[in-house]
Amino acid sequence: MINEASLLDKYASEAFAGLVSPILDGVQISAAPASDLTKEDALVRMNAELKRALEKPASERHWVMVIDLRKCVGCNACTVACVAENKLPPGVVYRPVLTEEIGTYPRVTMKFLPKPCMQCDNPPCTPVCPVNATYKNEEGVVVVDYDQCIGCRACMAACPYASRTFDFGLTYTEQLPVFDGAIVGGATAAGYEHASKEYGEDWARNGIHESPVGNVRKCHFCLHRVKDGILPACTTTCIGRATYFGDRNDPDSLVNELIASPNVMRLKEELGTEPRVYYVV
Amino acid sequence: MIKKITYAFGALTLLFGLWGFYDRFVFGHQDANYGSYVVWGLWVAMYLFFAGIAAGGFMIASLDLLFDIPAFKGTGKIALWGSLVSLAAALLSIWLDLGHLERIWKVYLQGNPFSLLFQMVWGYTLFGLLALVALILQIRKPGSRALKIIMWIGLPLSLFISGAVGALLGVNASRPFWHIGLFPVQFPVFSLASGAAMMLVALGLFGPRDDPHRPQQLWTLSLMTVILLVVKLYFIWADYSQSMYGNVPMNVEAIRQVMFGQYWWAFWIAQLLIGSLIPIFFLSQPKFAKHNGWAGWMGLLVLIGYGFARGLIIFPALTVPELGALTSAFSGPHLSFDYFPSLMEWAVTSGTIGIAVLGFLIGSDVLKLFHQPTKEA
Repeated sequence: MINEASLLDKYASEAFAGLVSPILDGVQISAAPASDLTKEDALVRMNAELKRALEKPASERHWVMVIDLRKCVGCNACTVACVAENKLPPGVVYRPVLTEEIGTYPRVTMKFLPKPCMQCDNPPCTPVCPVNATYKNEEGVVVVDYDQCIGCRACMAACPYASRTFDFGLTYTEQLPVFDGAIVGGATAAGYEHASKEYGEDWARNGIHESPVGNVRKCHFCLHRVKDGILPACTTTCIGRATYFGDRNDPDSLVNELIASPNVMRLKEELGTEPRVYYVV
Repeated sequence: MIKKITYAFGALTLLFGLWGFYDRFVFGHQDANYGSYVVWGLWVAMYLFFAGIAAGGFMIASLDLLFDIPAFKGTGKIALWGSLVSLAAALLSIWLDLGHLERIWKVYLQGNPFSLLFQMVWGYTLFGLLALVALILQIRKPGSRALKIIMWIGLPLSLFISGAVGALLGVNASRPFWHIGLFPVQFPVFSLASGAAMMLVALGLFGPRDDPHRPQQLWTLSLMTVILLVVKLYFIWADYSQSMYGNVPMNVEAIRQVMFGQYWWAFWIAQLLIGSLIPIFFLSQPKFAKHNGWAGWMGLLVLIGYGFARGLIIFPALTVPELGALTSAFSGPHLSFDYFPSLMEWAVTSGTIGIAVLGFLIGSDVLKLFHQPTKEA
C-alpha cells in the first residue's frame, strides 16, 4: 500500500530529477530513496516527548533547546512568534536572530544565529539579584518574578549573552490614529498587546507603573505553553525545523540524539555558564 | 559673594531638576537614553560619584573626630555633613534609576544576602545612621567616647561601601573592562580623593578666612589630593596598558571607546586635563594650595574630573556588544549600543546636584558648621 508520504517522495523526487538533469549536461540525478518524508515529523515527535516528560515530577525534567544552524534560513519567524506569544512591547525581545554577512563579493553568504536565553545551569544573572526575583526554577529554567523585581538591571549587566531586556512601558498601538470603521485606534488595539500569559498569569500591563513595565524580561522557554503540553512558540513556528525542544533527561528524546553529535557547540562555554541551548553547526 | 552665587546655582539646577523629576515620576524611564544594552547610564555614574564623596568625607572626618589631628580640629563636622548630603544625593540618584522604586523595601525584608547590591543597601543604611549619630554627638558632646566608637565602626564601613561599588562592577565576568581584581581596590582610593577634594571646596570657598588652621588644612588636603590623583593616574595606566597588551577584544574595544571613541573628550579633556593635570599643577605648589580660593576651585575641578571618570567607568563597558551581530539583530527603542544621556537624565542629575548643593549650604548655615572652629581655636 502506498501512503501519501511515499507517493509524494517518489513523484516529487522524480519530477525534480527530470527537471534538473537536462541542465547538468547529462549527469544523471536519481530519485532520492523514500526517507525524510516517511519519517515522523520532528514536531510530532517532540510533542509526544513533551507529554511523556510532563508525566514526570518537575524536578526530573531538564528542558533544553537545540538549534540547527545549518537549517536556519534567518526568516525571523521565531522572533516574531515569540513577540506575538508573549505580547512583547517595543524594545523588548527574547529571541533575536543574529545575522552576519561573511565573505567578500561575489563570494558572500549569510550566517544566522537565533539567540534565546541560554537558561544557564550556572547563571551569572541570578546571584546578583538583590531580592531573589530571578532564579532557576525546578525545571532548570531561569525565570523572573515580575512582582518581586525592583528593576535594578544588575542581572542585565551580568548576563554575557545580552539575553535580558527592560520593559520601558512602550506600546506599538498607543499612538495609532482612530478612524471609525477603518482603523481601530490605540484605545482598542492596545488590548491585543496587553494580554500576556507569561508564567501562567495574566499580565494586563496597565500603565507605566505596573509590572511587567519597569521589570527585566527574558525568554522562559514558553513555560506557560509547556506546562499545557504545547511546544515553545519559536519551536512550532520554525519553518525549517531548525529549533528543537525537549527533555535532556529522556535518553530517547530527539534533543538527546542531536546533542550527541560531535558538531554541537554552546555559546561562550569558556565562561563556565553551562548553557542549556545547544547549536548544531 | 561666592556663597550667594552657589545658592543661586543650587536653586537653578534644582529648578531644572524639578522638570526631570516630574518626567521621571510620570513617564517612568521612557525618556531615558539608556536601554537594554547600555543598561546603566548617567544616574548610576552619579550614584558612584556621590557615594564616593560620602565614603571619602567620612574618612576625612576621622582625621579630626577619631585621630584628633590638631590641624584638622573643627573640620570633622563639615566633612560629616558633606558625607551625609552626598550619601543622600547618591541614594536619590540610584533610587530613581530603579524600575520599581516603590519596591525598595523588598531589599530590606525579602533580600538576597549573597547579592552585592543587598549588602550595599544595608551598608549604606548603617553608614548613614552612623554618620548622622556621629554628627549629632559631635555637635552635642564633642570628643565623647561614644563618638570615637562610632567613628571606629564607621571607618571600615566607609572602606566597605566604597570598595563594594568596585566589586559590584568587578564581579561581572561578562564585562572584561570591569572584571579586574583592581576594581575594588581602586574605589576606596577614588573615594578618599573625592572626600579630600570636597573638603578643599568646603573649606576653601565657604570656610571663614580668618581661621589660623586654614592654610595648614588646605596644604595637607592638597597634598593628599595630589598624591591620590597620581595614584589614580597610575591605576589608569596599569589597567589600560595591561588590557591593551592582553588584547581581549571586548576589553580593548571598551578602552578604545574611552580614549578614541565617542567619549574621548571626557577622558582627555575632562578627566585628565581639567580633573587631574591642572589640579596637580596648582595644588602641589604651597602658594596656591594654601590660598582659599585657589584650593577651593582646584578641589572643584578634581570633583568634576571624578564625575566624568565615573561615567567613563560605567558607559564604555556597556557600549561594547556581548555578541558582535547584536547591534543589528533586532531594532527598537532602547536597543542601542550608543549612549549619551537624554535631556531628562541631565535634568534629574541637575536636580540631584541642586539638592546636594543647597542641602550642604543650608545645613552648614543652620548647624553653624563653619563658625565653631574659629571659636575653639
